[in-house]
Amino acid sequence: MMSGLERAKQDWYPVEMVGGLASGETRDTRLLGIDITLSADDDGKVSVTAGDTPWPTMVAYDHIWTSPSSDPRPLFEIPEAEEKDRRFVPCGVVRVKCSPLRAVENFLDIAHFPFVHTDILGAEPHTEVEPYDVNIDESKDEVIATKVKFFQPQAAKSAGDGIITDYVYRVPAPMVSILYKTCPPKPDAQDVIALFVQPLDEETCDVWPWMALYDYESTMADMIHFQQMIFLQDRSILENQMPRRLPLDPRKEIPTRADMTSIAYRRWLKRNGAVYGALTEVR
Amino acid sequence: MTEPIGLSINLPVNRVMRALMHEHDVAIWRSASGRLSAWNNRCPHRGMRLSHGFVRGEALACLYHGWHYDAEGKCRYIPAHPELTPPDTIEVKSYSIEESSGILWLTTSGKAEPLALPDNLQPVRSITFDCHADAVVKSMSVSTLAGTDGDPLRIVPISQKPHALSLETANGEASVFILLQQCAGQTAAHILADNNWSADGLVEISRWSEETRRIAEKAVGELAAAEQGVE
Repeated sequence: MMSGLERAKQDWYPVEMVGGLASGETRDTRLLGIDITLSADDDGKVSVTAGDTPWPTMVAYDHIWTSPSSDPRPLFEIPEAEEKDRRFVPCGVVRVKCSPLRAVENFLDIAHFPFVHTDILGAEPHTEVEPYDVNIDESKDEVIATKVKFFQPQAAKSAGDGIITDYVYRVPAPMVSILYKTCPPKPDAQDVIALFVQPLDEETCDVWPWMALYDYESTMADMIHFQQMIFLQDRSILENQMPRRLPLDPRKEIPTRADMTSIAYRRWLKRNGAVYGALTEVR
Repeated sequence: MTEPIGLSINLPVNRVMRALMHEHDVAIWRSASGRLSAWNNRCPHRGMRLSHGFVRGEALACLYHGWHYDAEGKCRYIPAHPELTPPDTIEVKSYSIEESSGILWLTTSGKAEPLALPDNLQPVRSITFDCHADAVVKSMSVSTLAGTDGDPLRIVPISQKPHALSLETANGEASVFILLQQCAGQTAAHILADNNWSADGLVEISRWSEETRRIAEKAVGELAAAEQGVE
């Protein structure tokens, strides 16, 4: 069987925002433990090299993606990225000392909202998580959670009073999560927020949040600030979870019914051998 | 073995602190009624450090999802499922902790056994040194304590395990007690003084401990630089 690292090398990963490097600028970073260099040419087009080896690059969802593989798996799709009336908001990068898988799992979790994002995404006494549906979409090999509902005091920058927010979650790749949530100014549509994770190694990651919103009021700076504030609150949790890697053995961390998405995510990782950043045995 | 991990005054009611003891990461908290508990610093749900949690009455709640644990370490409330009675199997491992002479005494195996100290002590402070306990003790003998007329302080060893010593003034009228706890490359010193010290005297002891730290860390730094020079 392929190792977790070999499996992880088959995927695309974000390493920079489009326009994040000025023409002629270079930046060193790391992916899956491999040192790489990003260079922007005179036209701003970014290339990636590991030592002398060029890696493939592609542009999608306002980010530059690369892969150690010369023939990576196809990148997942976000059809909403084609909807021209949305505002697309790449939110920058946050470095987190945790497994890339822990960062994704936290993004799938709603039960922490009242305690970690107090008075914004949740508030006591509205802590109950109602039953919801979780499935594996076999055609796309994705984890998908639907009918997720939660009371939120300030669901988005554009939200006024508290509302019951509906969520749908997708995990289309081990280190990517996309959520669809009630859009306060446009009740028939859904805002899209994604987390693209760059694994520096198994216990460190750079997280690139990206949003596609129906918010014509807020400034870009306000929307980015809102998302960064939320994610910095998450970081204070992620850097204090022990062990840093995500344990896949259910005996190692006790779940409850509210964790159905997390349970499905861990099983799906195990089934796919996507164990880079995971602990596969009880220690 | 039992180790001194802090001063009682630094853990008031409704507060949580973290202690590192050898390979153990420990969350220590005091309930609203004053009950003291010491636990493995990890929520069994998603591995979050419980030392970041918050006290609600007689329970400690994890910061991540608010799971409540009672004084025995049993999970009693899961906010995501308010109607659910959590199974008894959801439990945090607890350790023995005792309070004596204004010091918190912890062991990760068996029952905590505090060292007997005089009963007329007042707390001064805790201070952490970035070096081994030997370097701390050595630097104590060369730092001077104001108000003692420049007389060298007499260092009297009390115990090796736990590591305790006292400082006596030349006339023998006033003493300072120091409990040392070493973990990895750091040493914590928990300092008490007898009732003969005035409030100003306690401030001087605190300054003395900072001078001791400067001397100890400088000496260790110079030693490391000299060793690098040899290579």
